[in-house]
Amino acid sequence: MNAPLPVEPRKSYSPRVCPPISPEEEDAALARRIVGCAPERDVAAEAELCRRFASRIRLFALKRLRSDAAAADLAQDVLMLTLQKLRSGEVREPERIGAFVLGIARQTMIDSSRNSARRERLLETFPADLSPVEDEPREILDTDRLHHCMQALVERERAVLLMTFYDDRSAEAVGAELGISAANVRVIRHRGIRHLRDCMNLAEVAS
Amino acid sequence: MSTPSCAPEATLLAYWLGELDERAESALEEHLFGCARCSARLQSLVQLKTAIRRAFLSGDVSSVLTEKLIERVQEAGLRVREYRMGPGGSVQCTVAPDDDLVVAHLRAPLTDVARLDVIFEDLPAGTRHRTEDVAFDPATGQVTLLPNVTQLRKLRFATQRVELVAVEGASERVIADYTFNHSPYDSVRP
Repeated sequence: MNAPLPVEPRKSYSPRVCPPISPEEEDAALARRIVGCAPERDVAAEAELCRRFASRIRLFALKRLRSDAAAADLAQDVLMLTLQKLRSGEVREPERIGAFVLGIARQTMIDSSRNSARRERLLETFPADLSPVEDEPREILDTDRLHHCMQALVERERAVLLMTFYDDRSAEAVGAELGISAANVRVIRHRGIRHLRDCMNLAEVAS
Repeated sequence: MSTPSCAPEATLLAYWLGELDERAESALEEHLFGCARCSARLQSLVQLKTAIRRAFLSGDVSSVLTEKLIERVQEAGLRVREYRMGPGGSVQCTVAPDDDLVVAHLRAPLTDVARLDVIFEDLPAGTRHRTEDVAFDPATGQVTLLPNVTQLRKLRFATQRVELVAVEGASERVIADYTFNHSPYDSVRP
């Protein structure tokens, strides 16, 4: 009878225990944590980084694509690529993570217009990263109150806001339609937004 | 180069509307990607502008706009019921269940008019409401009224007289008037 083969101890996966994330933790600190944890994954830091950057990338994409769905797709692609690069140590300056993500977003925007198949490849390669990203919480606007406040604006402010925001037209374009200067449109637009916020008790997020 | 400090809301809006030059846009974008607070401010602005657009498309806001805007709305596939009238004109009007918006294009002699007010008078009660300093382009010779569709749907039979008033300093003159005879859709449909 053959002697029993030595049994190798089973390798078990134990994720590195990382300290909890504080809300004050800077973006750069999160990026450093992800880099420092590689090849293991700092799941909490990755999730927090995605949560913070999702809305920034989405706004960047929405400005160009004017489609919520397309912007959400691009945000997911950019986040996947960002995490890949962080995990593989390709981010040389984690303290400039914002500029790094913007660079990827710009490149992805160029690539996506060239090659739509790229996203399909990413989806196949990194399905685990595709869970929906929890975005920053958004304000909930009271629709009835908004209608009331829109109606409470002086007519010219209301018209300029509607003409501006129906299809995101510049002050030059709105001014040309109304026979007034772009500078005048900007003043009316600014006043209209301020009056609307006052009426809705919406404070501008402090700068 | 990243913008060192947070930009005012007017600059964020100019960025969103593509009014900044390439260099300023690029610098602000870098700042936005590194500044959670400014990103949240832009997000808040975009939400507000989205809500304003929805309010317009829902027909819950009345205003005086331009024909060009209404053309863009129609090109986007919305159903707009239009009435066109010259000075002294009268029209039988309604709103159908599948109308998204209703507009009245009023021709008027607008040359040399600096400020234009609109007076709405409900007949026969005589209740008057004045909207001051409406938006118009004198070159088009036309004013485009957009009534609140939700309120129109609640109306039964009603008559409204509309006056366009040119205002010059302390003096003013009526330059045209129009009459709208509204009937509910269920009473006029074929």
